[in-house]
Amino acid sequence: MGLALGIATDALAYGMVLYIISIGLSVTMGLMRVINLAHGAFAMIGGYLASWGLQSLGLGYGTAILFAVAGAVLIALPLERFLYRRVYGTHDPLPQVLLTIGITFAIIGIANSLFGPTLKPIPLPEIFRGPVDLGFRTVPAHRLVVIAAGAAVALGLWLLVERTDFGIRLRAAVDDARMASALGIRTDVIYAAAFALSVALGALGGVLGAEILPIEPYYALRYMVTFLVVVSVGGAGSIGGALGAALLLGLVDVTAKYLAPEYGEFFFYLAVIAVVAAFPRGLLGRA
Amino acid sequence: MTPRSLLLAAAAAISLLAGPAFADTVKVGVIGPFSGPFGLFGKNFKQGIEAFQAKNGKAVKGHEVEFVYRDLEGVDPAKAKALAQELIVKERVQYLAGAYFTPDALAIATVLDQGKVPFVVLNAATSVITEKSPLIARTSFTMWQNTVPAAQVALEKGVKKVVIAVSDYGPGLDAEAAFKKTFEAGGGQVVDAIRMPIRTTDFGPIMGRVKETGADAVFAFLPSGPPTLAFVKAFIDNGLKAANVKLITTGDVTAENDLPAIGDAALGIISTYHYAVSHDSAANRDFLAAMKGVGAKDGEIVMASVAAYDGARMIYRMIEATDGKQEPQKAIDAIKGFAWESPRGPVSIDPKTRHIRQNVYERVVDKKDGILINREVKTFADQPDTGLSPTP
Amino acid sequence: MAATKMAPRSPIARDRLVTAGGLAAIAAAGAIGLVLFPNDLGFLTRVLATALLVLSLDLVTGYCGVATLGHAALFGGGAYASGMLAAHGGIQDPLVLLAAGLAGGLVTGLVSGLVILRATGLPQLVLSIAVVQLASALANKLSGWTGGSDGLSGISPGPLFGRFAFDLWGQTGYLLGVALLLVVFAALRALVLSPFGLLCRGIREDVIRVGALGARVRPALVAMYGISGAVAGLGGALSAVTTGVVGLDSLSFERSASALVMLVFGGAGSLGGALVGTVVFQVFEHAVSAANPFHWLTLVGLLLIAVVLFLPRGLQALPARLAGLVRRRAAPARGGA
Repeated sequence: MGLALGIATDALAYGMVLYIISIGLSVTMGLMRVINLAHGAFAMIGGYLASWGLQSLGLGYGTAILFAVAGAVLIALPLERFLYRRVYGTHDPLPQVLLTIGITFAIIGIANSLFGPTLKPIPLPEIFRGPVDLGFRTVPAHRLVVIAAGAAVALGLWLLVERTDFGIRLRAAVDDARMASALGIRTDVIYAAAFALSVALGALGGVLGAEILPIEPYYALRYMVTFLVVVSVGGAGSIGGALGAALLLGLVDVTAKYLAPEYGEFFFYLAVIAVVAAFPRGLLGRA
Repeated sequence: MTPRSLLLAAAAAISLLAGPAFADTVKVGVIGPFSGPFGLFGKNFKQGIEAFQAKNGKAVKGHEVEFVYRDLEGVDPAKAKALAQELIVKERVQYLAGAYFTPDALAIATVLDQGKVPFVVLNAATSVITEKSPLIARTSFTMWQNTVPAAQVALEKGVKKVVIAVSDYGPGLDAEAAFKKTFEAGGGQVVDAIRMPIRTTDFGPIMGRVKETGADAVFAFLPSGPPTLAFVKAFIDNGLKAANVKLITTGDVTAENDLPAIGDAALGIISTYHYAVSHDSAANRDFLAAMKGVGAKDGEIVMASVAAYDGARMIYRMIEATDGKQEPQKAIDAIKGFAWESPRGPVSIDPKTRHIRQNVYERVVDKKDGILINREVKTFADQPDTGLSPTP
Repeated sequence: MAATKMAPRSPIARDRLVTAGGLAAIAAAGAIGLVLFPNDLGFLTRVLATALLVLSLDLVTGYCGVATLGHAALFGGGAYASGMLAAHGGIQDPLVLLAAGLAGGLVTGLVSGLVILRATGLPQLVLSIAVVQLASALANKLSGWTGGSDGLSGISPGPLFGRFAFDLWGQTGYLLGVALLLVVFAALRALVLSPFGLLCRGIREDVIRVGALGARVRPALVAMYGISGAVAGLGGALSAVTTGVVGLDSLSFERSASALVMLVFGGAGSLGGALVGTVVFQVFEHAVSAANPFHWLTLVGLLLIAVVLFLPRGLQALPARLAGLVRRRAAPARGGA
């Protein structure tokens, strides 16, 4: 029983980190139809900026997160304007894959030369540190913060998309970009805003998740596959789908690591194949 | 461009490609991770060698010694072999050095006899490596060498039930075997042995499993690099430290470059290892000063630089013994039994195994002048590679 | 119309000419490598093995329109089949080992084709990643057979035809690689020009119409995957035989991604483009990383971005683009005449 509850808590925390980072990717892939392999690099930029802010600039934890998110968006927006815009919605995914891998490589190389190959710590404030006894199990306090943040992001996004004017325009642009622009919606502004949102979420996840996915130059490549898998299993563009996929895959991964760590990612990818074969459009994907 | 300058440029390009061997230069090829996640260790190889050359000059008996570096980011045996081949055939190196990972060292071992090139292993720590060719020597450590004292320490501390957690590859399996054998021989009980895939970064589940077993200590080995930090943090954050479970490791897990990131939570972790940056000796102070002189930064100096520093010393001795000629057997014979004072303490090359004999220290993470260090508390003197010669 | 004026030959004759030209170019490049870079044959042999992988990828990506980031599974399937036969079966004949690689690649290709072709678009891409990661995790777990993370060693092929040994200088391995590439190139040219090859191209262009015409789409694609696997497996076996080791990297996501990068770089949907992309990319990477091993990744990244922006159809389109520029400049003069 203790084991099952332990697995459940760990899985929930891991799933939430996956969710916060992947949902940003899901936005770009669902809306702009770009296979953005550089999303992990944006999450990593967030992590680096937070670490830099905390360690060298003396910022507080909350300020550092804002700094990281804003900084990552500022770095990413020119890329959107000058590079991504050229490959939005292209029929052939290959140029997208190549362009975004190129961006990823360049960011890894630059991060390596600016910050060096070592791990960059993101020290937590005192109250998030150390273990918390939940009665049935001791868990890192940080995990609880991540779970709460994930829930907040899910709720906030849902409100944004379903309840605001921006959300209406966004959904219109997703459903039919040409019709939306005929109705006077400036799709390029919507796209840029959605891209910024996506990068912001990635950077937030990069900072919050750094305890589980530590920040180093190869972060961008190492975990990108996992994020891509979550989005695809959930169905690109679906908030609920990404949440479901992140939690499901988090559960599979953590359970396998508890019971059969020597199999590595075997069961994780087996589950991916099973889910994709059963739901080729993702759990809650659009057609 | 005039035809003449074109010709000159072409000649220069060809000579660049052909890599001419000057009679008076002895070339040494160094293969290591100079970029990528383990780039810090490659950098330490390079700086250790440069520090040695800065102190001892760049020539031996009038022969210029030139080190040629080749980047091998991670575990990639096929590329390791190709690089070794290229260094021998194209650069005409007389010696090879380096290898951070065991699989890469094993692949390099296959070309030595044909290429007539001695190979000084600067890190890879599986015992079998030196058995793969009579031309291999090693200045780093082996898992057996550092792990047997760890098991002895565990027994001394009164540990009864232990969980072993190691990375699932050659050195990890060596560490597991060494700990199990020594610990069980001393009357201890191994309640679980977990092999973690080398790419794991989230250790929460492993810690959950450890807790289930009710063990009173964990022995862990992971190769020094990004995952070790996550491992220690998971150990602390999942309440194992608070529950008074002991963490005993080889020093790979408490490498000095990772300690600042772990923070004060690392205080009290016990490890057994052959080198601490804080080791108190004149030789070590000299070494650290030389490292700073070639641009090494505080907090970025790790054991790989000492292995490279001592490796360069061995190569110099081999060049001296052969007077710069390519006589691999004579070169290797010259270092058998070679003894010197290393920054880590007194060391010698075991004539049988060609592996380095050295002190292994029991250390505990402590704070000195506001900096986290591995404070040495006990010395296991003159340890051989217990994996190959089991009776110390 | 201009095309018919400039090339009066029949399409079949022209295709034959292209094939012959390609073979001559490979042979010439092979000879140049042997004569001018006798000290780099080890590296060039690795390029040849990778070229087989990229050609194989071109069959499914360029000709069938299947986006995959998991193609190294097929390469690794061949490498491990050949390596395990040598290390555990004690087989030393290099030709037998190559055949084993071909068979291993064929089987891996059919299996992964059956899995990957269950979906299209993004899910397909993800299935392909899952396949290669699954294969890699399995190879790690079965370390008794595969050597796991330590790599599979103990592969010591005997001399080719009982005479030419695989030595440090690598001439035998290199020439074997060039010969393999010539055979494979000729066979694949015939394949892509055959009715079957045209069917696959049709599927890429418009899968619904081809289906409506009564063609069986999935069996055709799976068959192509099998053939592709055989070619990639041959590349894996060449790598195993000439290097004597097989590591987990041979079926990694990283290798799959870099193969795709090289293919798109050269130009997908053209066998020549695949070869040019592989050679140029690998030589560039080799030169830059030897000159500055510390930060070559940035340069490679910028190069990739430049290709997407300025050469979207890859290097193979470069001559046509240059010709287009020249023609555009020449056009007004002709218009005036």
